[in-house]
Amino acid sequence: MKFKTSLATAVATASLVLSGGAAAMTIGITQNNVGVDSYQTTYDKAFTEAARANPNIDAVVLDAGGDVARQIAQVEDLIQQGVDAIIIWPTNGEAVVPAVRKAKRAGIPVIVTNSNISKAGFDFISAFSGPDNVTQGKRSAEIMCDKFKSMGIASTAKVVHITGQPGYTTATERAEGFENRLPEVCPQVTVIDTQPGDWNREKSQQVMEAFLVKYDNIDGVYAGDDNMGVGALNAAKAAGRDGIIFVGATNFAVGYEAMAAGEYWGSIYQSPVDDAKAALQTAVDVLNGKDVPFLNYFDTPKITQDNMSNYTKPVF
Amino acid sequence: MLRLSKDEAIRFLGKQGILAAFVIFMLVFALAEAKFISADNVLSVIRSSAIIGVMALGVTFVVVSGNLDLSIGSMMSFSTIVVLDLHDKIGPVLAILAMFSLTLLLGALIGFLVGYLRLNSLIVTLGMLSAIHGLTLTYSGGKNMDISDKSSWFSFFGQDSVMGIPVPILIFALLAALLGIILSKTPFGRKIYAVGGNGTAATFSGISRSKTVFFCYLISSFCVATAGLIQASRSLGSQNTVGQGLELEVLAAVILGGASLLGGAGTIAKTVVGVLMLGFIQNGLLLMGLQFYVQFVVTWVIIILAVWLDIAGKRGKLWSPLA
Amino acid sequence: MKSINVKVLLKASPIWIFILFELVFFSVAGSYLSLSDKAFMDVDNMLLLLKQSAPIGIIAMGMAIIMINGNIDLSVGATFAIAAIVLLETMSSPMFEGLGDWVIPIAWGAALLVGTLLGAINGLIAWKTGVDAFIVTLGSMLGFRGLVFMFNGENPTSHLNWTLVDFAEAQFLGLHTATWFLLVVTAAIWYLMNRTVHGRNAYAIGNNREAAVNAGIRVGPHMMINFMLIGFLAALSAVVFYSESGSVNPNDGQLYELWIITAVVLGGTKLTGGSGSILSTLGGVIAIQLLRKGLGHIGADTSTVNLVIGSILILVLFLDRQINIKGREELKV
Repeated sequence: MKFKTSLATAVATASLVLSGGAAAMTIGITQNNVGVDSYQTTYDKAFTEAARANPNIDAVVLDAGGDVARQIAQVEDLIQQGVDAIIIWPTNGEAVVPAVRKAKRAGIPVIVTNSNISKAGFDFISAFSGPDNVTQGKRSAEIMCDKFKSMGIASTAKVVHITGQPGYTTATERAEGFENRLPEVCPQVTVIDTQPGDWNREKSQQVMEAFLVKYDNIDGVYAGDDNMGVGALNAAKAAGRDGIIFVGATNFAVGYEAMAAGEYWGSIYQSPVDDAKAALQTAVDVLNGKDVPFLNYFDTPKITQDNMSNYTKPVF
Repeated sequence: MLRLSKDEAIRFLGKQGILAAFVIFMLVFALAEAKFISADNVLSVIRSSAIIGVMALGVTFVVVSGNLDLSIGSMMSFSTIVVLDLHDKIGPVLAILAMFSLTLLLGALIGFLVGYLRLNSLIVTLGMLSAIHGLTLTYSGGKNMDISDKSSWFSFFGQDSVMGIPVPILIFALLAALLGIILSKTPFGRKIYAVGGNGTAATFSGISRSKTVFFCYLISSFCVATAGLIQASRSLGSQNTVGQGLELEVLAAVILGGASLLGGAGTIAKTVVGVLMLGFIQNGLLLMGLQFYVQFVVTWVIIILAVWLDIAGKRGKLWSPLA
Repeated sequence: MKSINVKVLLKASPIWIFILFELVFFSVAGSYLSLSDKAFMDVDNMLLLLKQSAPIGIIAMGMAIIMINGNIDLSVGATFAIAAIVLLETMSSPMFEGLGDWVIPIAWGAALLVGTLLGAINGLIAWKTGVDAFIVTLGSMLGFRGLVFMFNGENPTSHLNWTLVDFAEAQFLGLHTATWFLLVVTAAIWYLMNRTVHGRNAYAIGNNREAAVNAGIRVGPHMMINFMLIGFLAALSAVVFYSESGSVNPNDGQLYELWIITAVVLGGTKLTGGSGSILSTLGGVIAIQLLRKGLGHIGADTSTVNLVIGSILILVLFLDRQINIKGREELKV
């Protein structure tokens, strides 16, 4: 694992620079909504473990519970506590910008994790660490298009699109990548409807039920993540509609299993553990004065029924 | 020609107004969209109303007894998560039993607090909404729960059909029949109306208010557990927030059915009508291509209208005499 | 000093004692569990506490009046969101483009007006139809939320105005802008409830509606004014909060009802109406925010926060009843 070695080196450097003394740096994190789905929960655990494993780091781990007011309050609290760096997983990419500016003014570097803040806030953050969601959307479009081509329906296929929570940067970027890339690779495939599933399996299932009532022909479903993709799959199964190609993103364990069962075609492999570790690492690098790319992406490859044996089942 | 005086018209509207409006609504939708009254669509509407419906049956008991239950959505998340988790660990039968026991325990706790300790039900169940959500998160560690064996017979309750009728509908119908008889035909049912109609008088006439309220919450939690079972079986996997906000839909259906939140009025049959009304309106608006939030506004209007007509019919005047 | 009866003290100001307990608990627990070098009871932290209490606190003042009057309002979270959208939409509107920062007072005015109007709708329906306020506002909780979505679908509404942000972040005499709003609102509502006829009537109506009607108090208009007031305050809360954050998601304000009612009940206001104090309501608001902040300070996770807050709500209800029953029994003797 390339990543682990780099982490180890970083830790080694960090301990060299700041030898002696307990906890050399305090890093605070305010997360979006732990417990609402497995990805965020796994991220939370992985982050806490990674911080604990590093004797130089003390981590203050907070969760906004999806409430933007609480998140802003938490950023203020972290500033007040005088942490060395703040990691934020924005509940709303726009609304946290002033809070982030406040941190910057207090001389505390801010690292955005997982889902980016709006461009208005770029002046106030040190780096973004997370997946490249536009590329993910593009890759999902390619996965779907390739499948349609191999099925010979690339000239007629109709697709419905279930997006993540509106206003959430990850959702917007994935949707953008998918909607832009699909006509490039498969110009004759049409997206007949788009509705938000809010990253929620139940909501997505209801959205898909409505699609199935409305449209007699659906060949493909693109969902912003596997949690929603599986919700849509359940709706299709309940309605007895076979042969629909499901493509998601953020491969969840349920998505992986559904792929193994041959019901779900493909997704994007993205580990919350990598995500959490990358965020922590970025913060450490920033504090150590290292050069960090402003948009610090970690790789998220395509996974389909064809190549899934190369990947272990996600833990979440 | 039949001529109605204004007072008679108001009384008629109070009794049948909502049903009449609903019939008109259905006709308009049916004319606008042929798919609306297809057997497939009708079955699918009832099936997706079943979860709300089953919970509404229980809430009817609570409301008739003069109390409220805002914790059912949170409690349903709990039931769903617990049964999904235990399914793989101790097998479906034991998992279902354990889930029902735990949910009934929560119901008993609320029943104790509201029935025996006489604490305000709105606040108690608001507190329980938050506390049970915390309990669910603690139990699951915040992770989604999934059944690994997708071919388990556990999927029967949510996905199978018997003689062409989806099982959730059958469960809803059976439970409605059973609870309908209990509420309208048994001494226990009469006690609930007495307690809800006038709590103090009922206590003095020798009816144990505490016990009656306690059992209403027990019945409510039984219905929640059943709804959780259907939900879990339907998707064989779930997030911790699956029931969030359902208490409002359920309450809306119960109110639409004509149960008074002051207690003492409401029947199971009317609640079933309320549930189906909400379900069909939701589906109709969707088929017409309207967004889900239009349904919020429509629900708002019809809830107020329904209750208003009901009161107006009883007092014989359209407007409140309140100065 | 045996003359200080614990029960009497508890009866007099239970919420402030509870706050004191929280402060001590989190300071002690924090010194073991927290990673922060700074003490929990740091002055800056306490100032932040007040500021962070403002969004809930401003609305809670309105809820206290509504509940003293014997009603309840479940729609405040949705009103909050609508007012926020009106605020931000007005500021982005091309109609006022030439005004520069003068658009700010117009946007504030528009938001406050809409909030008051929404409150008036609730009040008018409850008054004229005779439908219980619980049902009226349960309905509008859905209906108003539907209206929220009609503005921009499920997308957020955003407008970041740095002048406004600077104003909202400013500190005057050490207190944040939001804190000032909270304090002024508290003072104004305290005056309204304790020094005016309207306030006295609100207590009278909540205490015994029949008697109030017989005494010639016009119950309907009172109810309507109170609903307009809470609508106005929900909008004011949105104006203060979104001036600083500049972006509203259509789901914002959801569950605010839960927090606000919890705060008001913690402050000792009865759901049955007729009693309750504005200052204790402020105490309830601070107690809740302190609890959230403190639990975060000692590293509690979301599940614990939910469990604790739910349990405390029920516990307070229980204690309040025990103390009051005991009090009454003593009186009889």
